[in-house]
Amino acid sequence: MAEITFRVKRQDPTDKKNPEARWEDYKVPFEGNLTVLEGLFYIQEQYDGSLSFRYCCRASICGSCAMYINGAYRLACQTNIKHLDIIHDAEPVVTVQPMPHVPLVKDLVCDMDDFFAKYEYIEPWLIRNSQDPEKEILQSPKDRKQIDMPIDCILCGCCYSSCPSVWGEENYLGPAALLKAYRFEVDSRDEARKERLPRWDNERGVYRCHTIRNCQEACPKELSPTEGIQWLKKAAVRRRLFGRMK
Amino acid sequence: MSSKPRETANVGAGLWKATGMWAWLFFRISGVLLAVYLLAHIIVISTGHFDWLDRLMKAFDNPLMVILDLALVVAVLYHALNGVRVILMDFGIGIHRHKVMFWTAVAVIVICFAVFAYVAFTFIATGAGVNW
Repeated sequence: MAEITFRVKRQDPTDKKNPEARWEDYKVPFEGNLTVLEGLFYIQEQYDGSLSFRYCCRASICGSCAMYINGAYRLACQTNIKHLDIIHDAEPVVTVQPMPHVPLVKDLVCDMDDFFAKYEYIEPWLIRNSQDPEKEILQSPKDRKQIDMPIDCILCGCCYSSCPSVWGEENYLGPAALLKAYRFEVDSRDEARKERLPRWDNERGVYRCHTIRNCQEACPKELSPTEGIQWLKKAAVRRRLFGRMK
Repeated sequence: MSSKPRETANVGAGLWKATGMWAWLFFRISGVLLAVYLLAHIIVISTGHFDWLDRLMKAFDNPLMVILDLALVVAVLYHALNGVRVILMDFGIGIHRHKVMFWTAVAVIVICFAVFAYVAFTFIATGAGVNW
């Protein structure tokens, strides 16, 4: 198989002449380990320099290149075409479109302003009230293990884009921000639980989650934001009932 | 938050493979149907016209109404069992087993439905209940 077809969704909402979305096909030479991101580079270099997409690290660490590829949320850099189902087709087509349900800037670039505003709202940094120790803040291996899952989040926005609760309520914080709230809730070094609590313990926060679990299906890092949100719900109820601040 | 136009074409095409999405969607649909049914039920009962009610009960002998009754059984069972599943998940039970829980609920519904359907179709065929 020498060539592979890239079907890319193109749209420039600011273009007065042609603001509508359209699909465009590009032939890209295929060999061995071609990733979707490399295919997009090829299109940009050989066919159309105006094709827009975000990328940065090319190693699935920065979360910039999250896209909707062949009907699934994927990181373009992480998606090896030889691993896609379509590779067995007679004429393989890779369908690339921007993440649905997120405002569009151009082509494959989504407007993540709301996503990051909500992320910032949760105050995603370590807050200490007590005097810092002279050296590092010690943490037992057991306590460290608690944050193993949530710290792997790369903020790509796949969970946010896939969540029906986000589609229906634009003020809902979304899975990524709540996962971060969970990350600091279970971190033994953090001391701002009381301050952070009112930010997620309401109908715009954890209670908007209906455990649909699309976030878990969508996450390219295979994390489970639902698990974190359910943990937060339990913690909130425990506090309401017993007034206990752990 | 701003309300900018969103990319909604091909809405969640890949997400329809996800069990949780279907579980949630059926939960919502069955909830709406049950709310409408309960409202109608309460209105009819509260009129107090018992002769009228008797005639209505006769109408339920119609095979179509029996089949609608079966649909009601499925809606009630699904809404109840998925409700239990969601409550368990809210308590943090079975967080990693939600698909197993969903399919268990479906299995229970299928078994119950088989029993109800047996009774219903015996009634449609013979006009009488099942002699167990």
